[in-house]
Amino acid sequence: MGAHLEFLRDVRLFTRFAESELSALAESLHERRLRKNQLLFREGDPGDEMFIVRHGAVLVSKAIKGRVEQVLDRVLPADFFGEMSLLDGSPRSATVQAETDATLFALDRRGLERLIDTNPRAAAAFFRALVHVFIERLRRSTHQVAEATRWGLEATGLDVESR
Amino acid sequence: MTERPAPAKLELLVRRDDESFEVREVGSSLGFIQSRPQRGPEGSFEISEVRSSVARERSFILKNTATDRFLVLSEPETFLWEQMDGTTSLQEIATAYVLRYGEFDFDIIPNLIRKLQRAGLLTLEPKSRLRQTLARNRRQRVAKAVEAILTGLERVNLSSRRVQSGFQRLHRWGGFVLFTRAATVLCLALGVIGGVAAVALVQGLDDVFSGFGGHALGGVLVVKLLFFASVALHQLVHGLACVHYRRRVREFGFAFLHGFVPTFYVDVTDIFMATRRARVVTAVSGALVHLVLGAVAFLVAAYAPVGSFAQAFAAASGIIQWQALAISLYPFGFIEMDGYHVFVDLLGVPTLKHDALSYVRALLGGRARLRSGWLEALWLAYVGLSVVSIAAFLAFNVWIVVRAVS
Repeated sequence: MGAHLEFLRDVRLFTRFAESELSALAESLHERRLRKNQLLFREGDPGDEMFIVRHGAVLVSKAIKGRVEQVLDRVLPADFFGEMSLLDGSPRSATVQAETDATLFALDRRGLERLIDTNPRAAAAFFRALVHVFIERLRRSTHQVAEATRWGLEATGLDVESR
Repeated sequence: MTERPAPAKLELLVRRDDESFEVREVGSSLGFIQSRPQRGPEGSFEISEVRSSVARERSFILKNTATDRFLVLSEPETFLWEQMDGTTSLQEIATAYVLRYGEFDFDIIPNLIRKLQRAGLLTLEPKSRLRQTLARNRRQRVAKAVEAILTGLERVNLSSRRVQSGFQRLHRWGGFVLFTRAATVLCLALGVIGGVAAVALVQGLDDVFSGFGGHALGGVLVVKLLFFASVALHQLVHGLACVHYRRRVREFGFAFLHGFVPTFYVDVTDIFMATRRARVVTAVSGALVHLVLGAVAFLVAAYAPVGSFAQAFAAASGIIQWQALAISLYPFGFIEMDGYHVFVDLLGVPTLKHDALSYVRALLGGRARLRSGWLEALWLAYVGLSVVSIAAFLAFNVWIVVRAVS
């Protein structure tokens, strides 16, 4: 448990948690192990958990065509994913699979609600940190869209400037 | 000065059948050079030469018949336009351009593509039509299986792009000797001596192959496997020739050509920037490996005890090596080997195979008429000789196996 707490302290969502709040949260987390290449969930699957990467790396990808998907993100230790379905109950917006053997901590809706009920201060810190991460990811997504557009223009040699 | 951004890259995840996947980083430049520009269909454009008694260079007018837009193309641009048939990739077009004009203008192709796209005369298609067809028919088991096999084999690529310093060291430590007059004379002498030995062996071929005993087929297979190793040497010498002329060897490795032909390869395309002599020497030197190895094998066979396994093995090796020499240097056979590249380089017709096949297909399909001109004669000769050569090659191999087995 002690090692888990040390690790959780490094997760951006929990950096402002007190020791007791972190311990309470740790009890709500479930460990999941993935083998290399193992699929965690597919785009469109139902879901109500978010995941924090403890060890290894997972890939977040979005279907493009046939068997080809675009890699949106590579999630490394202390980073997290899957929070959108946890918060709004919507189906998974992307597919997640293990790039290496990986260990994850899962936080489900019941665990989150318990956090809100029993530790409202910690819950507020959690959501504030989450908003910051959302803003960063939004910026990154905007950059990815621009890069994908640039890729298309460069790969086709399309001359838009003088049209 | 504004720094130009690096080419954009996409990180793609490609799923396999067994639930695993592969992550590939694809640069936009790769997408660009592998695209196949497709000019508009026949009838959607007209092209005619602008005759001028003043201008020294030829120029052409290209008209989009749908929009009535006109473009003025230089002679090199017209050459590029003729290559844009939807089957030739930009990489191949650039190679053809260098062979034709002996130099490469790095802006001419992108500029022309932009110009043609603006005039609505061009679309770009991805490279492999075979793979597109297979992907479209993935529901059929055979197509799916072929696609899976090709994909699997294509992944087998053991190569390195950091080989230049290795080739330079090899050249410095003795490789340069291969490109001296003495080496040329020795090579020719070996060729003559090997030829004399081969002629002597042919006269008692039945006795020679009797050395295989009851293991003729197995023996020939082992000979073929050993020959495969000599292909690596062939490519190595191409690389040495390239650095000999102070050009860069971009890559050396092993892969499955077209997804199913195992081969060693070396990327010496930088030699296109050198002189014609350098290009010819680079192309021919690799093939001469087979001349030397074949000659040595024939000499060994000539001095080995008659009817021994060693004699049969050496003779079969010699035949296969010299057969490889002939295939490498012989320009007619629909495969673009060293001899073909030398031949088209010397003639100044870099797209000979493509043009010849298009012409003959059009003739057979009734879309073209027989014309008398040296170019048309060359096309017909190329296709005719290639067909005859392939038939002769197949017949020769059947004969060899039959002789070895009987």
